[in-house]
Amino acid sequence: MAQIWPIGGGKGGSGKSFLASCLGRLLAGLGKKTLLVDLDLGSANLHTLVDVPYPEKSFSDFIRKKVPLLADVVLETPVPNLYIISGAHDNLDVANLPYEQKIKTLKAIAKLDYDWIMLDLGAGTSFNTLDFFLVSQSSIFVTTPEPTSIENIYRLVRAIYFRRIRQYFTVTEFGRLQDEVAQCFGEGAFNKPDLIMEFIRTNHPEKCSLLEEDFSSFRFKLVLNQLRKHNNIALGPQVCNIIEKHLGFHVDFAGNVAFDDRVHDAICQRVSFLERYPYTRTAYDLRELSKSLAQSAGQQMVIPYS
Amino acid sequence: MHGFMKKDFSKLNYYEMLDISPDAAFFEIRHAYNAALQIYEADSVVSFSLFSPEERKKILSLLEEAYLTLINAQERKKYDEELMQEGVIASEKDKKITRRPVCIYDIKRQTGTSMLPKKNEKVILRESVVQNKKINEILSGPHISGADFKEIRNELGVPLEKIAQETRVRLDYLSCIEEDKIDRLPVAAFLKGFVKSYLKCLCVEPADEICARYMRGLPGAEKQAG
Repeated sequence: MAQIWPIGGGKGGSGKSFLASCLGRLLAGLGKKTLLVDLDLGSANLHTLVDVPYPEKSFSDFIRKKVPLLADVVLETPVPNLYIISGAHDNLDVANLPYEQKIKTLKAIAKLDYDWIMLDLGAGTSFNTLDFFLVSQSSIFVTTPEPTSIENIYRLVRAIYFRRIRQYFTVTEFGRLQDEVAQCFGEGAFNKPDLIMEFIRTNHPEKCSLLEEDFSSFRFKLVLNQLRKHNNIALGPQVCNIIEKHLGFHVDFAGNVAFDDRVHDAICQRVSFLERYPYTRTAYDLRELSKSLAQSAGQQMVIPYS
Repeated sequence: MHGFMKKDFSKLNYYEMLDISPDAAFFEIRHAYNAALQIYEADSVVSFSLFSPEERKKILSLLEEAYLTLINAQERKKYDEELMQEGVIASEKDKKITRRPVCIYDIKRQTGTSMLPKKNEKVILRESVVQNKKINEILSGPHISGADFKEIRNELGVPLEKIAQETRVRLDYLSCIEEDKIDRLPVAAFLKGFVKSYLKCLCVEPADEICARYMRGLPGAEKQAG
């Protein structure tokens, strides 16, 4: 079964697509059949980073039922072993994927036959993004060492948490739950997943144990991208520590990736950064990251959408 | 995996708050408190936006309370006893011995080969050279040979092996010098150096002058000098 790695992180511009393309290239270079899926619906651009400027097929073709299978829209890239499902040239309303379409997509992704599947997710915490996150127990959060980006990581973690709790209840049940939590802890409390969890623990103990088991099986990873020389290198582990202590998720710190202006140059020239500047600190960090990911293969794919 | 959101921060015990073990030494507590401040203080990037100002204030005051309790030996003992009664931490007898910082240099150490006793040894040696009559007699004569060196050494009670070890001169050369085995001695240039080291090692002074006297006494010295 494929290893699925959703790559996300609340803020735009933190390097999610760049990281996805680099990790894709490196894993493909290890001889793994690797697929990149551009799920930044509505603002897809991953194809440009892997040198497929004019994708002739895209994700929309699958959504619009032009082709029956998701595997039919997979494109080859110039890199051996690396494939892509592009999100380019899609209809302008694809960003608002209806629920059934989303479930269909998730199931189709799970059926794809690849060693590694990297999902490049968009910024923000829309339900689509959150559900794509929850397709796998191992996700990669990308953040930069800026307060804006770190703020969005916490936001994202809370949203994922909230979304997962939501999936264990029906719509009406959940509505009632929110009201009860608000009554119990005061207005605005239903925005705090930890309070909801505490409420569930006392009022729905059977659901609570299921949820706890579920949450403890998650293996999130944090990558601190664009680390400048003067930044605090302990920031990543500290963020992981605080997420574990205050939000209750175990997050492994996967590593720092150094900032380099030449990443910008490589993207502008539309060449692979790793090939153009292989002896930079950034390229070294990326290679180390791909190695550590390749080693940490775990159980995956729990989709409660059947 | 340690459960999921088991406790709210305010319900953690002081050791959990600071992420240290119950047998942490004082310097570890200080270090942990500094690390926690780095994470929780108001302008920290790490906890940015995660807490409201009130929540942050509460956390910081809890951390301070934890630090001030644990850093005070009496208060800590009282607090530990409370935790032991609740069964949160192991009782005194099960507890491991508290780790303390270990000195890299133990200046009180008596035995061994540290610098201080060695210096004393040399001082004692020098004194006995000056005080010993027999040695003074030997040194005051016009000629001095390898056998004289051996006698001086025996008077001082220093084994030849020790000299070899300290001067790094080969033992067989040293014994050849002492036995006056002229044909097996190294060439004069080396010999001079070896004899000087030998004399310095025994604290026999002035090494240069005595060495020169020894070299003059060797057969063929005139030839070499010429």
